[in-house]
Amino acid sequence: MKIDTLGFFSALATEMNAHPERYQPLGEADMDVVIVMRDPRPAPFAVRLAFEGIRCEHVVEAEPDSPCEYRLDGPLVAWQVMFDDIVARGRATGLQTINSLALLGDDIALGGSDPMGLDKFSRFNQSLQEFFDGASKALALEVAP
Amino acid sequence: MSEATQDYSNLPTVSPLGAPLDWAWLRGAKSEWGVHPKPSPRGLTMLDIAVGSYGVVPEHPTHRSMAPRGADIEPGTPDMGYILNDKADVWADNTRELYEEAVARQWSATRDIPWGELQELDDDVEHAMCQLCTLLTEVEMIAADLPAKWMWRMNHEFIEAKMFLCTQIMDEARHAEVFRKRALANGGGLLVSRNGATSLLRTIIEAKSYTQATALMHLLGEGFVLDLFRMGELIAPSDVEKRIFRMCMQDEARHVAYGTMHIRYSVEHDPDVAEEIHEALDHGEMILTEFGTAPDVSTALAVLLAGGVADVEEKGFPLSLEMSKKQFSSYLARCERAGISRLERTKIPLDLLGIDIETIRGAGRAA
Repeated sequence: MKIDTLGFFSALATEMNAHPERYQPLGEADMDVVIVMRDPRPAPFAVRLAFEGIRCEHVVEAEPDSPCEYRLDGPLVAWQVMFDDIVARGRATGLQTINSLALLGDDIALGGSDPMGLDKFSRFNQSLQEFFDGASKALALEVAP
Repeated sequence: MSEATQDYSNLPTVSPLGAPLDWAWLRGAKSEWGVHPKPSPRGLTMLDIAVGSYGVVPEHPTHRSMAPRGADIEPGTPDMGYILNDKADVWADNTRELYEEAVARQWSATRDIPWGELQELDDDVEHAMCQLCTLLTEVEMIAADLPAKWMWRMNHEFIEAKMFLCTQIMDEARHAEVFRKRALANGGGLLVSRNGATSLLRTIIEAKSYTQATALMHLLGEGFVLDLFRMGELIAPSDVEKRIFRMCMQDEARHVAYGTMHIRYSVEHDPDVAEEIHEALDHGEMILTEFGTAPDVSTALAVLLAGGVADVEEKGFPLSLEMSKKQFSSYLARCERAGISRLERTKIPLDLLGIDIETIRGAGRAA
């Protein structure tokens, strides 16, 4: 499955929502996030994710500069490397965790106009990491016979 | 149920032993009997029960007892000796939300860290991790001691703020626990404690007012530690440390969120406190900069950033400088959001660090 698609992020949301036992111990997380993936095509792919409680309630295509609490913006190839690592190892490792990538900022940048929104990236970081790590399950299901 | 629908007029006035009996609570107090807060999907939250008069937090409470806000309070209640009696002294508009978040996101340093997955590390990296954990074990408890010093002085009408600070105290106990455990768990141990850390902690604990203290602790100190945790996650040598730093990062960000919005509330409602906060931050920034550049702290971080001593000069120190820039940028942006712009006043060398002032100013405009 291509990662710069609504279908991919819907699959991640479905994976999260099907496993409350993984998210309940982490606690509720309310955040409004935009993910931007840029590649040489004229228009970047952007998706808006609305997390409420222990669910990802909304996955909708968005404009890269849509208002949100924070955005994670980077080239498609960087996102692909991150998800490849997750699929290969079952979870993000080393410099491929979303915090590490966003802190270095070389590829994937954390952005937002309000520091209170930006800090939600830290306040709910483990939940967000679990959400991305769900790719190992979502993509494994896709390739299963 | 409506007020006093039952007739309780025939109840006894003395007990079988002759003691006087009080039925005022049954006959209908002045409080708002009959409210029915509706639970939200996640349960009955503090936001859900902030209904009617129960949700109104007075700007200047008229009594100083531990009587619950919203109860029918007997006149002449004893004075508990509170000195923080204005809402602007302690309040933040996100207090209830942060309390619920803190309760929902508690974790266990014993159970929720995969200690069994710790790996043997190179000697220099293990030493650097242990030195960082020594420092963090030392500094984390200041964010428990400080609210404990002031909480009993806070008017009880501001109960939600006190409840949130209780969660912060528990968070900090867990941080001290998890870093102490990590220092010992992999064959290393607690290493060197220098005087610089204690000087910083004394500056915070000895602040003249709670607002100065919270500016120093939540906005400055914890803001920097939050970024240090983010850096810790980046440089963590294994998934065990990554998990530790991510979990601590979440807690710390809540504390910073309270502090930022408390300072904002405080300055909006009492502009005179702005100068008091600036004075505290003038001093705090200087002490923190000395502490952050202390030879033991900076070398341990640089070794972790470089992945060992071999590349510490080529990779460790340049990355460390880049991280410092991010720390100061985040702090200055939070100050803008808190309504206490430091851009014209700070002695932090913004040019030297390459900090973009216009980006930081934007943070204030986002409010």
